[in-house]
Amino acid sequence: MGSSGASGDLSGEMEVDAFRRLFPLRFYERHLLESVRPDARPLGRARDTTVALGAVATADGSAMAKIGCTTMLAAIKLEVMTPPLDSSDEGSVAIDFHMPPICSPIVRPGRPAEVAPVVSKQLSDAIISSGMINLKELSLVSGKAAWMAYLDIYCLDADGALFDAALLAAVAAFSHLQIPAVTVNDDGRVVIMSGENEEEEESVMETPVTVVLDSSSRLVSLYKPGGPVLAYMSAVQDCVALTRQRVKELQKILSDAISDMEVD
Amino acid sequence: MEFVSPEGLRLDGRRPMEMRQIRAEIGVVAKADGSASFEMGNTKVIAAVYGPREVPNRSQQISDQALVRCEYSMANFSTGDRMRKPKGDRRSMEISLVIRQTMEACILTHLMPRSQIDIFVQVLQADGGTRSACINAATLALADAGIPMCDLITSCSAGYLNSTPLLDLNYVEDSAGGPDVTVGILSKSDKVTLLQMDSKLPMDIFENVMQLAIEGCKAVANYIREILLENTKQLEYRRGT
Repeated sequence: MGSSGASGDLSGEMEVDAFRRLFPLRFYERHLLESVRPDARPLGRARDTTVALGAVATADGSAMAKIGCTTMLAAIKLEVMTPPLDSSDEGSVAIDFHMPPICSPIVRPGRPAEVAPVVSKQLSDAIISSGMINLKELSLVSGKAAWMAYLDIYCLDADGALFDAALLAAVAAFSHLQIPAVTVNDDGRVVIMSGENEEEEESVMETPVTVVLDSSSRLVSLYKPGGPVLAYMSAVQDCVALTRQRVKELQKILSDAISDMEVD
Repeated sequence: MEFVSPEGLRLDGRRPMEMRQIRAEIGVVAKADGSASFEMGNTKVIAAVYGPREVPNRSQQISDQALVRCEYSMANFSTGDRMRKPKGDRRSMEISLVIRQTMEACILTHLMPRSQIDIFVQVLQADGGTRSACINAATLALADAGIPMCDLITSCSAGYLNSTPLLDLNYVEDSAGGPDVTVGILSKSDKVTLLQMDSKLPMDIFENVMQLAIEGCKAVANYIREILLENTKQLEYRRGT
């Protein structure tokens, strides 16, 4: 592979591509030996993350989040509803995650992605259980009327780290949300994390672990859905440490995005 | 209700023959073989093309040409009120069929037998003219995917309110109950592939409105050609030629 002519380089490149396709595990192991990933990232670093608030003008709150190539568009629409008897002074949040066929070659009409309802449930649980949204703030007239916030998250490009990007977009959308007639910044600054990977890496990995921390570094959720690798405490603690670092990065990105909006 | 003021301005300040602002971008979905986003005013759509690829159902494949499939869906938040059923309803199925048949007119399917080309269009914001925006986005996405086509298909809509032909209706003008003519043309040969109209219109006025829509299509075609040229230049720079 050195500085041979153009055709020599091309044949060298094709061999790398073929190797990557035929022996993905060995391809990644070779890189991991050097503590680096195929796109030259060190193991602990995440891809470029951007957040843009107010991506959908017709929604009450919206945001677009990108981690590397993975793109998520989240939008919140508020509708008035009658609250149920047992929570008459609270509003409600309904979270829905969609993977339309544009996002990935494996999603076809009539054959939705397997991972979509899983991420949907994870998101729902993480957001509602973390107490990030004060449901009492969504109440209008106790017992008679309350806001129902419909959060729809669309994956526009699926390249790994779906849950991360979706949660980031959801949090950003909630922070952008303006309840009509009452301006609320209803966000406890919950930020997300995970050992984050591209899709190819994810297909080779045996078990992904997802860790969610809130801004005071308390553990909000830990998700390890089965799989052959046993998680020793040390591995889990490593994940949590990586998470803590990423939380700081994401907090900065999110607050930059919010202050940019306010300047406008 | 007045859609054209006495000074000749529409509700959003445009002149009757003025199109909304167009913006297009190629390559917005990294995973797709070809993709593009297209905006006409506040209407925003993303099209992604996957193909030519293997037909999953062997019984459906055609031995001498490619199978073209299309799915149109709207995001829940794309319209003013949240939609309950964004796809699978009659309107979406009809528009899917229209887009498929329109694009089939220009794709050289006989060059890719026994394969399948999937065109997926997702509407992110709907403000009238979604059909046209989807066709324009699909054209760009097909070009980005390198799928051989005989011509670029572009589309635009026009209507007739307050005795004035109006180009490129937005949602308010579209729901006013007046006629809505959508035209899709092959830009080089000026042949009409798509023509849909509803409501009532006298024949001579219809010709005016259709001609206006065709002018709109040609303006979109010029813009699309510029975008594709710019994209090709970028690719050349990256290749280092």
